[in-house]
This record gives sequence, structure tokens and C-alpha cells, in this order.
Amino acid sequence: MNRLTVGGVVRRIVLVALGLFWLIPVYLLLANAAKTDDQYGFVDVWKPVGLGGLWANMGAAWDKGNLGAGLASTAVYSILSPAIAVLIGAAAGFAIVALRLRHGFAWFVIIFSSTIIPLQMILMPLFRGYVKFHLYDTRVGMIIIYTVLTIPFAAFVMRNFFSGIAREVFEAATVDGASSMRIFARIYLPMSVSALVAIFILQATLIWNDLLIGLTLTRSSDVRPVMTALVAMQSTYGGSTMQVVLAGGLLVSLPTVVLFLLTQRTFTRGMALGQF
Amino acid sequence: MTTVAAPPTTRTKAEGPPGQRYSWSARGFATPALILVGIVLYLPFVWTGYLSFTKYSGVGKASWVGIQNYRDMFSNPEFYNAMLNTLYWVVGTIALPVGLGLAIALLAHGIRGSFWYKLPFLLPYAISGVAVGVIWTFILQTDGALTEALEFFNLPGQDLRWLLDSPLNTWMMIIASTWQGAGVNALLFGIGLASIPIGPVEAARIDGASGWSMFRHIYWPMLRPLTTVVVGLAIVGSLKTFDVVWAMTKGGPGKQSETLALRMWKSTFQENQWGLGGAIAVFLTVITVLAAGLYLRRQLSESRSVV
Repeated sequence: MNRLTVGGVVRRIVLVALGLFWLIPVYLLLANAAKTDDQYGFVDVWKPVGLGGLWANMGAAWDKGNLGAGLASTAVYSILSPAIAVLIGAAAGFAIVALRLRHGFAWFVIIFSSTIIPLQMILMPLFRGYVKFHLYDTRVGMIIIYTVLTIPFAAFVMRNFFSGIAREVFEAATVDGASSMRIFARIYLPMSVSALVAIFILQATLIWNDLLIGLTLTRSSDVRPVMTALVAMQSTYGGSTMQVVLAGGLLVSLPTVVLFLLTQRTFTRGMALGQF
Repeated sequence: MTTVAAPPTTRTKAEGPPGQRYSWSARGFATPALILVGIVLYLPFVWTGYLSFTKYSGVGKASWVGIQNYRDMFSNPEFYNAMLNTLYWVVGTIALPVGLGLAIALLAHGIRGSFWYKLPFLLPYAISGVAVGVIWTFILQTDGALTEALEFFNLPGQDLRWLLDSPLNTWMMIIASTWQGAGVNALLFGIGLASIPIGPVEAARIDGASGWSMFRHIYWPMLRPLTTVVVGLAIVGSLKTFDVVWAMTKGGPGKQSETLALRMWKSTFQENQWGLGGAIAVFLTVITVLAAGLYLRRQLSESRSVV
């Protein structure tokens, strides 16, 4: 199949053409997020002007659009929550597979099935509960909900991953008299770094991109995650010009896009896992 | 590591089944996950079910009204409008991101470096629904980039108001969401295609099959199980549609482009009708669970065989 056949060439050309077409929105974003107030509306939207005005527009989005505060909060959420969730999920997977938890499959079904619940089905009690326990509009509250939403997926992937580790590994460790905590921390976790990283990267991206939780459980600009801040900025009451909003959209997308470009293989591995 | 080579039976007898020796710590390891999921996800789940049978404004006490909220829901034109839009989203998502994803995967199948050809399609997945909404709002605004491009090439559609007229706005948002989601489907179909054994493909090739007949008789039947999963995922995903719509039209103009997920949020948090919001959430959950049955059973049964 690697020979250059006519069909192969045609397929490549179609793919490249379609790929370029797919990048048009990215081009339009870059071209117009960089336009100054003098240029926007006067220079055609399809014409590039260089990247001169981009910095100023991003600065305006950062300050006036309050994206700076949102970025700081979101960075905390999307690093801490998946890190905690991966450990809790891995512990559950370890208990089910390696420690042969009694009725482990039932535990697994209960934990994993929660992934199909639409968020709409939990938002109302979550809001009331958060207000009651003073977690509403706090960073701790946001870390908790993002963590718990990540646990079922982490448990699912880690359980499947641990199933691939030979039983003899566990038995050898028990002969040496190692405690279960030691076996988990010193043998199983180090063996599964690649899976842990894949989960972490995917879930960090999903948390970074969340809107609905932020919209429901936060209010102040210090706690509000960045996508919720961007939506507020974009609304007619936000008072920002289109080019500043576009620069804001670019600004909040850069971390995840850079992460994607740096870790393509791991990222896409997580993406594929994330669908199941 | 010489112990690994020892016959396992002798050791098992000497130490007792690991299931007994470690059963307490096993529970300890799995309990945090179960408790957190139970309190933060399942408890609210049940509570929302209860709220859907009450009249509640978010403060004070909820009073039991039986199935009144469900009656209200099914006699409410806003609900039907949101349901119709959600149906557009489901149908559109199966046709566009799934269809295009399959096409891209087939085009890239067997090409050296196919990953690089798929990269432009995968990239938007890293971008949030909100940022996708921002970009496409700009492209689709009246006299925006799309209209200009149509004028330049002298194509029809120059006077369409992409985001202001319904149901056109819903279809344009489905396209925006296709831009974001087609790559994931291409990725999944790519994995599926790579796992097809070479035997039947070569046999068919020798018999003179190529192109369409190859797809029709070899690839398509072999991709069937995966296609079921991908379609199930697409349905579940599209039922939850919220972010892109919120960022592009907020469900407007008026309430014309609302989805069920959006209507639930507005009923609850903007119009303070929590009971009605709960009823919509329950309705949404029932269809989601039915659709998830398409792929979940398969997943769980595959998992079971691993245990």
C-alpha cells in the first residue's frame, strides 16, 4: 500500500485540500484577532495584517475581559483535579484487579455507569448543596466537582490497564511480604505511567474547556473558570470589541492547543480512550 | 525475580487466596472512589428525580405536585421546539461528524504517515466549545467572513442571516460542532480500520474488488460493531449539546435555537422553575441512557471478559 499509486496520490491530494479547508477558521481567527481598532472593519476580514495588534488585543482580553483571573483559576483546576482523580481512580482499579475485591465487577459497574448521567441531572442539587455547605463560588468546591467527574473515567481506564499486568507481578510482591499500599505505589503506579499521563492530559483538557460547571457553581471573577469568563466577555454586555473577543478566544485556546501539539500521540491515545 | 518462575499453585496454597488476605485493604482502596461518586453524582441524581415531582423555586421548601411538571412539559411549545432542535442535533451529528470522520479515516487508511494527514482534523478537539463558538460566531455574523466569501465567488446564499433565522442557525451550529468533532470520529474509525485482518482484504483484492465494492463488502461489514459504538457516542454527545449553542446564540433569537440541555438550564437557573427543569433533566436522561445502551453493554461485557 506504500507504493505510490494513482489512487494513493488522489487520496493524499483530497486529504491535504480538506485539511487546509479545515484550517480556514484558525486562519480567520489569527488574521482578525491581530487587527487594531483602526484596521478592524476597514481591512477585509480575509486579509491578514501581520500579528502587530495581537499582543494589545490579548492584553485587553486579559485585563478588561478578566481572562487573567479566570486563567489562573482554571490552571489550578485542570492540574489538581485530574491529578487527584487519577490516583483515586487507579486505587479503585487496583483494588478490583490486583487485590481481587469481592464483587469487584459490581463496584466497577456502579462507578463507571455514572459517566452516562447528563450533567443536567445533577446540577440543581449540586447548586443547592454547594450553597448549603459554603462551597458555592469557591475554588475548593470547583476542585471537588471536577475531581469527582474525572474519577469514573480514570477508574475505567486504569482497571483495564492493570488487567494487562501479569498476575505473577502481584504474587511475587506478596511473597516478599509487601503491603498492598507498597505494591500499589512502588510497583503498579510506576508501571502505568503512560496510561496515567494519557488520562491526565485528556482530562486536564476537558476541565480546561468546561463551561457548564463554571456557569452554574461560580460567580466571582476570581473563582470563575476561564471559559465562563470568555462567554461573559463575548455577550453584548461584555463591552469588548470583536477583535478583542477573538484574541481572548485565541488566548484561552493556546494552552490546550500547545499541549495537543506537544503530546500528539499521547493526547490522541487519551482521546480514543476517552470515547469508551 | 526468580520467584516468578515458581509454580503458582504451591504458593497459593501456602498463603491462602489473595482475595482473603487483601480483602480489607481492597475495600479501602476502592471506597474513596465509590463514596465520592455516590455523594457527588448519584445522590444529586436521585434528588433531581424527586425534584421533578415538586414545585420548587430554588429557595424555601419543595411541595409535591405529582406528575404536574411532566404534564406542563409535554404541553409546552418551548419544550417541543427544544426537542425538535435536539433532534436536528442528533441527526446532524450522525450525518456530519460521524460521516465525515468515516470518510477521512477511509481516505487516510493505509497511507504512510496517515496520522499527519489527520492532524488538522484532530486539532479543533483541543479547542473548547466556547472558543469554537467565538470563532464561528465571527465567521457567520451578518456580512461576516462566510457571506463575503460567497460574494467573492458569486455563490448563492449571500443574503442568508446565518445565526438569526431558525432552523438555519441550528444547522450552522451543527457545522461548527462538526468542525470540532469530525477528527475524533476519524481517529476511532482509523483504529477500527487498522484492526481489520489483512486476509479478507487481500482475498477481495485478488477477486478484483476495489473502491466502492471493497467498502461495501469488506470494510463496512467489518466496521459494523465499531460504527454502532461511534453512532451511540454521537447520539449521547449531541443530546447534551450546550456549550456551542450557549456561546453562539444563547438559544436565541428568542428561544428559537434552544436545545433540551439549554432549556433545562434556563428553566431552572433563569426562570426559577426547578420542578420543570428537573422533568426536562429526567426526560433527557432517559433518552441518553437508552442511546448509551447501544455501546455501554458491549463495553461492560468486554470488560467482564478481562476480569
